[in-house]
Amino acid sequence: MTLKAVHEAVIGLETHIQLATESKIFCPCKADSWGDPPNTNICPVCSGQPGVLPVLNGKAVELAVILAAAIRADPIQTESYFARKNYFYPDLPKGYQISQYDEPLARGGALEISLPDGSMRRVRIVKLHLEEDAGKTVREARRRLIDFNRCGVPLVEMVTAPDLRTADEATHYLLRLRQLLRWLGVSEADMEKGQLRCDANVSIRPAGTETLNPKTEIKNVNSIDSVRSAIETEIERQSREVEAGRSIEAWTLDWDEEASTLRKMRSKETEADYRYFRDPDLLSLRLDPAWIAEIRSGLPELPLARRARWIEELGLPAYDAGILTEERTLADYYEAAVTAYAVRSSTRGSGGGKLISNWIINDLQRILRERGLTAGQLGLSPEGLADIVHLVETRAITGSTGKDLLEKAHTSRRRPIEIVEAEGLGRVSDDGALREAARLVIENHPDQVATYRNGKATVLGWFVGQVMRQTGGKADAQRTRQILEELLAEGPPPS
Amino acid sequence: MIEDLCDLSGHQIAERIRRREISATEVLDSTFARIHRVDGRSGSLEDRPPDPDEAVHVHAFLELTEELAHRQASQIDSALARGDDPGPLAGVPLAVKDIFCVQGTASTAGSRILANYRAPYSATSVERLVSAGALVVGKVNLDEFTFGSSNESSAFRPTPRNPWEPSRVPGGSSGGSAAAVAAGEAVLSLGTDTSGSIRQPAAFCGVSGLKPTYGRVSRYGLIAFASSLDCPGPIARDVTDLALALGAMSGEDRRDATAAAVPVPDYRASLDQGVRGLRIGISPDAFQLAYPDPTSGEVRTQGVDREMETAVREAVQALQAEGAEIVEGIPLSHARYAIPAYFVISRVEAASNLHRYDGVKYGHRHVGPVSDLRSLYRTTRGEGFGTQVKLRILMGMYVSAAQYEEQFYAQALRVRSLIRRDFEAAFDPHGAYRVHALLGPTTPTAAFPMNELYGDSVLMQLADLLTVPANHAGIPGLSIPCGLSAEGLPLGLQLLGPDFEEGTLFRIGRAYEKATEGEAWRAQRPKVLAG
Amino acid sequence: MDGQAGRQSPTEIPLETFLHLVDLAALELTEDEAEYLRREMNAQLRAIGDLQAIQLSADTPITSHGIPYPRAVRPALRGDHAETFPHADEILAQAPESDGRYIVVPDQPGTDLE
Repeated sequence: MTLKAVHEAVIGLETHIQLATESKIFCPCKADSWGDPPNTNICPVCSGQPGVLPVLNGKAVELAVILAAAIRADPIQTESYFARKNYFYPDLPKGYQISQYDEPLARGGALEISLPDGSMRRVRIVKLHLEEDAGKTVREARRRLIDFNRCGVPLVEMVTAPDLRTADEATHYLLRLRQLLRWLGVSEADMEKGQLRCDANVSIRPAGTETLNPKTEIKNVNSIDSVRSAIETEIERQSREVEAGRSIEAWTLDWDEEASTLRKMRSKETEADYRYFRDPDLLSLRLDPAWIAEIRSGLPELPLARRARWIEELGLPAYDAGILTEERTLADYYEAAVTAYAVRSSTRGSGGGKLISNWIINDLQRILRERGLTAGQLGLSPEGLADIVHLVETRAITGSTGKDLLEKAHTSRRRPIEIVEAEGLGRVSDDGALREAARLVIENHPDQVATYRNGKATVLGWFVGQVMRQTGGKADAQRTRQILEELLAEGPPPS
Repeated sequence: MIEDLCDLSGHQIAERIRRREISATEVLDSTFARIHRVDGRSGSLEDRPPDPDEAVHVHAFLELTEELAHRQASQIDSALARGDDPGPLAGVPLAVKDIFCVQGTASTAGSRILANYRAPYSATSVERLVSAGALVVGKVNLDEFTFGSSNESSAFRPTPRNPWEPSRVPGGSSGGSAAAVAAGEAVLSLGTDTSGSIRQPAAFCGVSGLKPTYGRVSRYGLIAFASSLDCPGPIARDVTDLALALGAMSGEDRRDATAAAVPVPDYRASLDQGVRGLRIGISPDAFQLAYPDPTSGEVRTQGVDREMETAVREAVQALQAEGAEIVEGIPLSHARYAIPAYFVISRVEAASNLHRYDGVKYGHRHVGPVSDLRSLYRTTRGEGFGTQVKLRILMGMYVSAAQYEEQFYAQALRVRSLIRRDFEAAFDPHGAYRVHALLGPTTPTAAFPMNELYGDSVLMQLADLLTVPANHAGIPGLSIPCGLSAEGLPLGLQLLGPDFEEGTLFRIGRAYEKATEGEAWRAQRPKVLAG
Repeated sequence: MDGQAGRQSPTEIPLETFLHLVDLAALELTEDEAEYLRREMNAQLRAIGDLQAIQLSADTPITSHGIPYPRAVRPALRGDHAETFPHADEILAQAPESDGRYIVVPDQPGTDLE
């Protein structure tokens, strides 16, 4: 883990992103085979039978263009091509992968990432292209088991420039990318399901120099944690090699997740041996410039922009803004709740911003976590949340009633105001009712009354708690205290 | 002599079936009787010594699908009984080149590597012909993966012979198709044409064949050779049958992204419009062959056979007499590059298309222990592919290797533009020539003897010199019989037209058929049918 | 690759290149076959030598399919609707070796790094 200060790492990531389509990229098999028995979700096309042809899925193109627009790729090409990358691999049934190559869908662009120290890092994107996924290989002692279910799943490959310097930065890049993909609905980006995969190109160099040394390519890094461990392991290995005076060779390495070790793969064909050429089975992919412009202008506000706007407009702390933009439905929920609250409280902006944030981060997120939901799936609408906060703030209900209401409204899907009315949850500040409750408590607890009257004033808090309990938490605490003081002072002395 | 139903044209059969004069089952019975009489032993992988019996039989079929055909025939007959329309090809016996997948049949591509492969789906063109009423009587032999011009490279032996003279080749790669149609073993065959593989065997066997415009007919289910050149197309005994078959096969297909969205005309409706008003171009380059010498690489020129030239010239006169305007002197000066460009493009695409045959998912796998996966690939492919296939793979790999890609492949694709421009200039309605079609010989010679060229990959390719330019350009080409040589071998003429103008080619072909209806050569029958 | 060699017209395929291609193509060849194939490849190479001689203007476009595909004749991209292929078992039944629903191949060992 400790890289000698004399070296720094240079890391570039190639991510493979499964697009959120219903069907595969070149055939109508369903795209998602998670949990299906092997070789069930296959057809002549994706299993590479003789004589079949690919037909491009229009939705895959649309999602890829949305992603390209979101990273501000320029150009998004109005004409791009699919090539064949020829090599033998048992999970590649055609013996070639159909992938964009020399004329990809898009070039350029960048992904801005915020690092934990608060600084920003701009990671340049070299290119973004469409391709098909290969199948899955299960390794056993002397044989391999092949499953074609995943063959033909639509992927976008997004390649970064070597702009990352530590394993931590690489994991942050992936976290931000995952956030963006889900935000846009381009991919579910679940790494466990292989919807977001990553190959890491790693090299080291003397710190402060600009040289690019031979790099190794680590394949099969399929979780955020393994990205970190695999890169750290490889940086350490390269440092050891260099310090021992050996040179680094451009190997392809395989990350074995279970053993946490790197394994050198059989030296595959070099790039020159893939014999790329344009796939004659597919026409060039032509996109209407007006359609591209429409997608660019129709993009939703992206997480970083929204985060910045909230810090600026709502005076929200960066920490809160970060959490609230983690996920699109949560961010939208927050935004809607703030707007609704502003209407109710007839104040503009800043006041409600932090207030709503507190309610979401402290209370609502617990409900989401416990039940494994996203904000979009809550039974309580953002307007309902605004109502609850407004009721608490105007002292119409108590804070603890408000918290209970979150649960009740989510479960029953009823409006909080209706629940308050139906269940009589309004704050009890009527003197008569409070007086009655206080009298009962005093009557039933002569010992505590005696203690109080003997000078132990702190017992008053206990009396308040008892009244609260009697009223189901609706009692106005301040008024209860006054009434109790009054009653305890005037009552007859203990017998 | 009692007429054999299997010798009728497809349109005659369909009409008589629809009038309920004959049944589809009767047509089948006649066809299978013919097959059993003339076809001899089916091609197989067995290594058997040559047998004198081979020399008098056609050996077109690899597999007969009698059960399937009878099922389809009874569907036709019961559709008629219900009063339903059984389709324009009702009851027409169809032989499918074994490069097409037909669900449930062995689909071998003439290769050992697919000898045990049973397709889990059917090609679009087969499905469409069947739904137009055609009856699949079997799968016919071909050059292995269609790589050849003589049908001698099939792994399944004996390979087909020319019904007109069994010591001669039927041509290739759709040799089984053309031979079967010529011998009355099928009325219609579905073939493929990558450099002339429909037109050349059709010409050699005295039948008619059409290479449609690229994109006219879906390639789905056609086991690929050179994907940018391969075209499925029909082989039949006359132009009318080709028109019916093309009408049934053509059009967009959601399974083929290169099947063009061009409406399919009623080809039959315009068939008999005659040639008055049509301009037919003649190119000197179609009679004078320029080709690279196989040993030196120098360009040589040579005229086509005199008999061939005479027959084609007579056809020109016949069409002129029918009212066509003949335009001489159309230059096709880049046609001479068609073979070298073909050597590059087809090999690159073929090498890639053949990558999938690795013994993992289907087909042949090396039997016996192997040290690792890589050696499984090597032994499987070494045993499964024939020599001509290996040659194409290696050549394709060589010319598409990164360091030569620009020099060879990209250059060949640019040369393809030059070849296409020659045709565009000829057909340009505002250009100097404004022709509706070009006419010339289909092949430089009549069918050559078996074993004469086989093994010399360059000389063999020259058999396609006159046909391959149309594949580069994507344009349609029709070959129809235009006489017999002194030795009694069929001669064929070729008509080439602009993109998607198959209808014009059919019109001209039909006019020629009518003009020469009474010619003595038309009464001749192939040798295997004598006695 | 070496730019100079790239522009020259190779007239013969060197043995080393031939063997590399055979390895890439995963073809086990008999000696006779190898000899025949090399000879024919060299003959084809001479035949295509003619191509290099053609002077093309820089703007000569690449023709990938013969016919052009203007917008009007291009088929639409496929709509994103999933369908189940009903004969997946027939595909699996073709496999030379399988175990349950997996297709089986021999291993290709790699090398562990310490």
